[in-house]
Amino acid sequence: MTPRETLLTETFVSLADTLVRDFDVVDFLSMLSDRCVDLFGVGEAGLMLAGGDGRMHLAASSSHQMHLLELLEIQHEEGPCPDAYRTGVLVRCDDLAETTERWPTFTPAALTAGFRSATALPMRLRDEVIGALNLFGVDPGPVPDADVAVAQALADVATIGILQHRAAKESRLLAEQLQYALESRIVVEQAKGVIAQQLDLDMDQAFNELRRYSRDHNKRLVDVAAALVDRSLDAATLRRP
Amino acid sequence: MDADRLSKLLGDLEGDRRNGADLGERLCDACVEVLDVSGAGIMLMADGQHRGTFGVSNAVINVVEELQFTLGEGPCIDAFNSAKPVLEPNLVTPASNRWPGFSGPAVKAGVRAVFGFPLRTGTASLGALDLYLDHPGDLDATQMTDAVVMAEVIANTVLALQGAAAPGTVAPELDAGLASRAVVHQASGMLSAQLDITVDDSLVRIRAHAYTSDRSVNEVSRDIVLRQLLLD
Repeated sequence: MTPRETLLTETFVSLADTLVRDFDVVDFLSMLSDRCVDLFGVGEAGLMLAGGDGRMHLAASSSHQMHLLELLEIQHEEGPCPDAYRTGVLVRCDDLAETTERWPTFTPAALTAGFRSATALPMRLRDEVIGALNLFGVDPGPVPDADVAVAQALADVATIGILQHRAAKESRLLAEQLQYALESRIVVEQAKGVIAQQLDLDMDQAFNELRRYSRDHNKRLVDVAAALVDRSLDAATLRRP
Repeated sequence: MDADRLSKLLGDLEGDRRNGADLGERLCDACVEVLDVSGAGIMLMADGQHRGTFGVSNAVINVVEELQFTLGEGPCIDAFNSAKPVLEPNLVTPASNRWPGFSGPAVKAGVRAVFGFPLRTGTASLGALDLYLDHPGDLDATQMTDAVVMAEVIANTVLALQGAAAPGTVAPELDAGLASRAVVHQASGMLSAQLDITVDDSLVRIRAHAYTSDRSVNEVSRDIVLRQLLLD
C-alpha cells in the first residue's frame, strides 16, 4: 500500500472505531479535518454542524489560524457550507476569483485568506443532513473526482458516527428518566400506605395529606413521599399545623 | 424477518402509536406473528424488580408475568439481570432447576418452553420480552435473530413513548401496567409501618404469603389495604 492508502485505511478504521468506543465529537471531527488536508492535498479543511436553530456552527478545523476560523464562522448564512447543508449535495467553486456574486461576503474573505477554491460536502444520512465538510484549496482548480468520492465517504462515516452517538446519548437519558419516573411512582404509592397505617386513613385521604403537606411546605411530592417511606419523616408531622 | 417486513411492522406501529391503540398488546401480537410463538409479554423492570407489564398477547403469558411478579424468579428476571437472552426449551424437564417456584405453575398453565430477551438501549436495561411455546422446543436461528430485533423495536418504542411524556411522569401507555400494581406498593408501605421494616422486606413478606396461600400478590395486597389481613 502507498503511504496515502495506508493513511486512508487508518482513517476509515479510526472512524469505524468511534461507532463502538467512547466518543468525543470534538476530537473526532478535528482528526477528520486534519486527515482531509493530508489525504487531499488541500490547504485547509473545516467542519460545520447545524445546531438546533438550523444555523451552522463551526465544529472543527484543520488549524486554529484566525483566518481559517473566521472563514468558517462567517458562513452562517452564506457560503459553500450552508449551500451543501441546505441542498444536501456537493457544492464547489473551482476558482473563487472568478465571481463574487454567488457568495458576496464569503468570497472576498476566502481570497484574502489565500484560498482560491472551495468544496463543501454534505454530511448526510438518507434524508438527514447534519452539516458539511469544507475543503479549501490554495490553487484554483477542482479537487479531483476520486478525492471527492473518498472525502464524501469519510463524511458519510463521520455522519453515521455522530448520529449514532446522539441517539445513544438520547436513549440513555430517556432510559434514566423512565427509571426515575417509575421509582417516583412507586414511592408515592408506598408513602400512601405508610400514611394510611400511621394515621388510620384510607388511600385517598392519605394522598390528600401528602399532597397538602407538600404544597404547604413547598416540597416536591416525591421527596416527601421518600422521607415518609424511609421513616425520616413521621406521618404525624403531616398533621401538625 | 426481511427488511420489508420490518419496515411494514415499524410503519404499522407508528400508526398505532399515533392513534393511541393499545400499543403494548399490539407489540406482543406482532411478536407472536413474526416469531411464530404461542405467546409474548413485555415486562418493565427497575432495580432488578418486575415493575409492571406493558402488554400481553394472551391469558397464559399473563400467568407467566404474574408468577414472575409474585416469585421474583423466571426467564424475564434472569434476562434482565444478565443482560442476555435466557432460553428454556423444555420447562417440564429442564436442564437445571433454576426456577423451582415458577416452573410447576407455568407448566400447569400450558407453558412448555419459555424464553426471555432483555430490553436494552446501550447500557441501560428497561425490562424484558417473554416468549413461550405450548410445546417443548428451541427457537431456531431465524427466530433468535428476529427476537433480538423485536426486543430492540420494543425498547425503542418504550423510550419513544417516555420521550413524549411530561417530565417526571411515566408515559400513560406505560403507566397502565403500573397502575394495576399500585395496591401492592400501598400494602408494602402499610406493612412496613406496621412492623417497622423496610418496604423491600414488606414486599418479600407479601410475596411469601401469596405463594404459600396460593393467591396472587395483588389479592393479598388488597386484603392488607382493606385491613382484612395482618401479617407478621
